[in-house]
Amino acid sequence: MAAARRQPAAGPGVLRSPALPVVLIFAALAIGVTALLPLIQSSSATSTAGDVRALEAERTDQRARLRALELEIAQLGSLSRIEQEAAARFKMGPPKAQNYIAVDAPAPEARKIPSRYLAAQADKDSDSPSLFEDILDWLTP
Amino acid sequence: MRGQKWSTKWRVWMVVAAIVAVAGVLIARLGQLQILDHQEYATEARLSHVSEDTISGRRGALLDRNGYPLAGSQDSFDLMVETKAWSDSKNATESAAALSPIAGVPAEQMVASVSASSIYEVPVARGLGYEQAQAIRKLSLRGVRLMASSRRVYPEGNLAAQLLGFVGQDNSGLTGLESDLNDVLGGAKGTLTYERDGLGNQIAVGERQEVAAQPGANVVLTIDRYIQRLAETELEKTIEKTKATGGSVIVVQPKTGEILAMANSPTADVTKPDLSDDSKLALFRNKAVTDTYEPGSVFKLVTMACALDLGLVGPYTPWHDLGVFKVDNWTIRNWDYSANGDQSVTQILSKSLNTGAAWLSTLAGPEQFYSYVDRFGFGKSTGSGLGGEVTGQVRTPASDPGSWRSVDMATNSFGQGLSATPLQVLMSAAAIANDGVMMKPKIVKEIAYPGHIQTVASEAAGQVIKPETARTLREMMGVVVDGISPTLLDVQGYKVGGKTGTANLTVDGGGYKPDAYISSFLGIAPLDNPVLAVLVKIDEPQGTPWGTVVAAPAFEHIVEGALPYLKIPPTETALVSGQR
Repeated sequence: MAAARRQPAAGPGVLRSPALPVVLIFAALAIGVTALLPLIQSSSATSTAGDVRALEAERTDQRARLRALELEIAQLGSLSRIEQEAAARFKMGPPKAQNYIAVDAPAPEARKIPSRYLAAQADKDSDSPSLFEDILDWLTP
Repeated sequence: MRGQKWSTKWRVWMVVAAIVAVAGVLIARLGQLQILDHQEYATEARLSHVSEDTISGRRGALLDRNGYPLAGSQDSFDLMVETKAWSDSKNATESAAALSPIAGVPAEQMVASVSASSIYEVPVARGLGYEQAQAIRKLSLRGVRLMASSRRVYPEGNLAAQLLGFVGQDNSGLTGLESDLNDVLGGAKGTLTYERDGLGNQIAVGERQEVAAQPGANVVLTIDRYIQRLAETELEKTIEKTKATGGSVIVVQPKTGEILAMANSPTADVTKPDLSDDSKLALFRNKAVTDTYEPGSVFKLVTMACALDLGLVGPYTPWHDLGVFKVDNWTIRNWDYSANGDQSVTQILSKSLNTGAAWLSTLAGPEQFYSYVDRFGFGKSTGSGLGGEVTGQVRTPASDPGSWRSVDMATNSFGQGLSATPLQVLMSAAAIANDGVMMKPKIVKEIAYPGHIQTVASEAAGQVIKPETARTLREMMGVVVDGISPTLLDVQGYKVGGKTGTANLTVDGGGYKPDAYISSFLGIAPLDNPVLAVLVKIDEPQGTPWGTVVAAPAFEHIVEGALPYLKIPPTETALVSGQR
């Protein structure tokens, strides 16, 4: 009889358990944290994408600066500027007469075209296999 | 009671039917929108929040033969403003006021261009530099963004302006080599597609697709900037000295056909092209290949080449000059109306006798004479590949049997009655300098594509005269120069050869302009092993028009500057001492 009386009280007993509020709080927190995960992920992706855009903009700026410097070098080496500097700074002028002498030395080599204007060299790193390719090669000899 | 029940049912069914009908219409409309017109509305929706920018590949550089850039591209930025963001006049005015001093465009102009536009985004300033872009970015203005672009820069200023040409706002070549080589220099355009929010800003995690632009190839020209500058300087000096209206100077390497310099005057400003009227547009024409003239006495070299090559005469064959030469009922006279008596064939060239040239052409006959004119490339393209090149005109018995007369050949023999471009005239002398082998003029030396370099080989147009004929002609050209006063032509340290020319200036519609001449000097240097062929052509010089007086001094200065620069040793006698 005693056992028969105790059985129906099992359900309300759990509900009356002192640990229930704590369990519920943790469950709610877990659900809350889980719900935040996509938000955190989304926020992180947004932040990373923003960083990428900023870095791209910086790369564009730096490239523009590099090109500007290259052209500044070209302008500084232009014939009109060399002539101007020679005349103004070094007080040079056209020769009044030309004299020719023979020298026992080879003529200097012709100027080579700067590498930045030549065909781009293939990236050596891109030719070498990646770690995974190495592992795959090792697994499938 | 029963009738009332039926009436109620009927009304209910009417309502149900109405609801079903409306629902049916809605479902049909939904089906139309979602299924039948899906593509159209999906595209419309996509366009309302997706932007597509065209990205231009960096335009390749034009380099001189030693790698000095003559034209290059500088990365720049276009300032773009969203029309919606500036629909608020207060925001527009404030933003424009902040941007104006940096972009260098009046604020009112910016606001006006944005308010007048109905498109999503408007460029209010183009070609901004790195520093300007940085300053604008710091302002963080709403609806304002910078789009990467590029602008053309000419580090040597207007050097070889007409040869190089210029590019338009879209970075496409419009004239000169910029236009001729546009496909090579331009690269391939790319696209950037991205989603934007309601304010038009790019959505960080939105759809983004980039098709990268391909950069254009760098082109190495045969032009040498030093010799080009030398040619331009001497041309300008000569024009100023003789008060001429213009002129051209071309320098080529006879053995390769490589063009080292091609200068024209008056010239154009490619750094700030002014296309406001046709006269300014004409300044961008490369007259060395687009304009023709009657070459005058320099053409006697072709006539002499024909007679020598056919073995009709030798350099010392005697000829008696009466001062007149009769052809049909026409009389040919010398330029100075002189009668020179007994002369050698070499003297026909050195004294530039029209009567002698007419006699030589008569000896050869029309068929042979015009065959040599054709071999030397007159009346046809040189194959330079330069845009706008014309062929010139040569009337022959075959091309114009109805009106061609024997006197035409006589006048042609001393360079009148036919027209040619300065480049054609120069290439004829280059063939003589190259032992009779005529090379095609070459302007592009190498093309450096992103992955490989293409070297452009020199190409021979053909053997136009025998090598021994060419050598004899070179000696005769040396005699011509020996006969010129050293005050006018005396190249220090080198022996050179050449031929002067003074031709009447033709006018549109036929005939000659009174008292207007074209003076020229066609020369090769050094005489024993020529590395340079030079044409100096001066249009309408005032005062003495003779080529010896007008054009020969410029040839002297160009050769004196170019030969030591090219490390061509002078003659032994020119050395001031022994070896050091």
